[in-house]
Amino acid sequence: MNTFPLTLLRSHSAAMLAVLLAFVVAILISGCAASPPIPNERLAVAEAAVQRANSASTSENAAGELQIAIAKLASAKQAVASKDYERADRLAEQAVIDAQVAEIRAQSARTHKSAQESQEAARVLREEIDRQTVR
Amino acid sequence: MNIRAIILAALVVTLAACSSVPEPNRALVEARDHYARAQGNSQIARLAPEELQAAGATLQQAEQAYTNRADKAIVDHLAYMTSQRTVIAEETAASLASQAIVASAAAERDRMRLAMRTSEADAAKRRLASSEASNLRQTAALAAADARERELQRQLEELDAKKTDRGMVVTLGDVLFATNESELRGGALNNLSRLAAFLIEYPDRSVVIEGHTDSVGSADYNLGLSQRRANSVRAYLMSQGVPSNRITASGMGMGIPVASNDSASGRQQNRRVEIIISNADTAMR
Repeated sequence: MNTFPLTLLRSHSAAMLAVLLAFVVAILISGCAASPPIPNERLAVAEAAVQRANSASTSENAAGELQIAIAKLASAKQAVASKDYERADRLAEQAVIDAQVAEIRAQSARTHKSAQESQEAARVLREEIDRQTVR
Repeated sequence: MNIRAIILAALVVTLAACSSVPEPNRALVEARDHYARAQGNSQIARLAPEELQAAGATLQQAEQAYTNRADKAIVDHLAYMTSQRTVIAEETAASLASQAIVASAAAERDRMRLAMRTSEADAAKRRLASSEASNLRQTAALAAADARERELQRQLEELDAKKTDRGMVVTLGDVLFATNESELRGGALNNLSRLAAFLIEYPDRSVVIEGHTDSVGSADYNLGLSQRRANSVRAYLMSQGVPSNRITASGMGMGIPVASNDSASGRQQNRRVEIIISNADTAMR
């Protein structure tokens, strides 16, 4: 007599727990499918990469590439604002690579210039020596 | 009939869907071409192998996504990443190639500068050697000039020349001439031949020969005698090879005594021929 209602109560609470568990699982599953997490880390990386690329040399030698990287980062932030986190993640990843492209383009342009200058300097020196030899 | 047609159509659509390849992705095609071009470039393969490998790995992911019919946005994204990684490989290689050019140009400049400095040093050495030689020559010339000067002084001393305002003066005494004669006596010749040799040796010197007498006799006679004596000295020097244009002979008569005409010894001193050797400034310096 004393045990029955207790058992009833127990079985009742177990059922309720099972329902609650199923509910939570359902919510979790649906949550995972509907909205991936905000790509905060990737955005931070992109922010840093764009900032690093945004130098005087890059704006002089790879202005177009730098603008693309900056615009890409802005788009990524916009995608976060419109809760399209997958797109935001992709755009942030692209912003990182765009910033790297801007940097390497600028570096390549610089070294190309100095290569031309040093070849010119060598040519001038050679001419000078030739003149001296003639003298 | 109608239902059968619908079922058939549905079947055809389903089959077509099953057998169809996914629609070609333009970004992926471009990324594929881009990567293939970079891979075919030996400079990129040599200088940026890691960057090229990263691009290749991303391309593989893109191909995989495409084959698995992933979302077009994902394939586009991976294709874009492939293209950008390929650009990084290309630019890395270009940058390294330029750096190599800078380094080799710098090395060439160093080499050329070294060669230039070496040749400059050689030239300087040659110049120094030649200037040393010319210094030696100059020193030798100076020494020779000094020696010449000393020799000149010695010879003038031998001639018993006296230094005066008019130059070196050699006085030939009366004893060298017979009384009232202008012929040179043998004793004079020794001294005069030395003077001739001296004048030949120093062609920039010229001489003025002055004849003087004492006050005995008429002025006219003495003037003539002094002139004749001067002339005979001149004639002797010319006979020894001294050019006439360097010898001036003049008779001064009795007007310029060097001692009193009152005593015999004074008169003897006044009877003389003076030979003034000009101070050739160019030769004496």
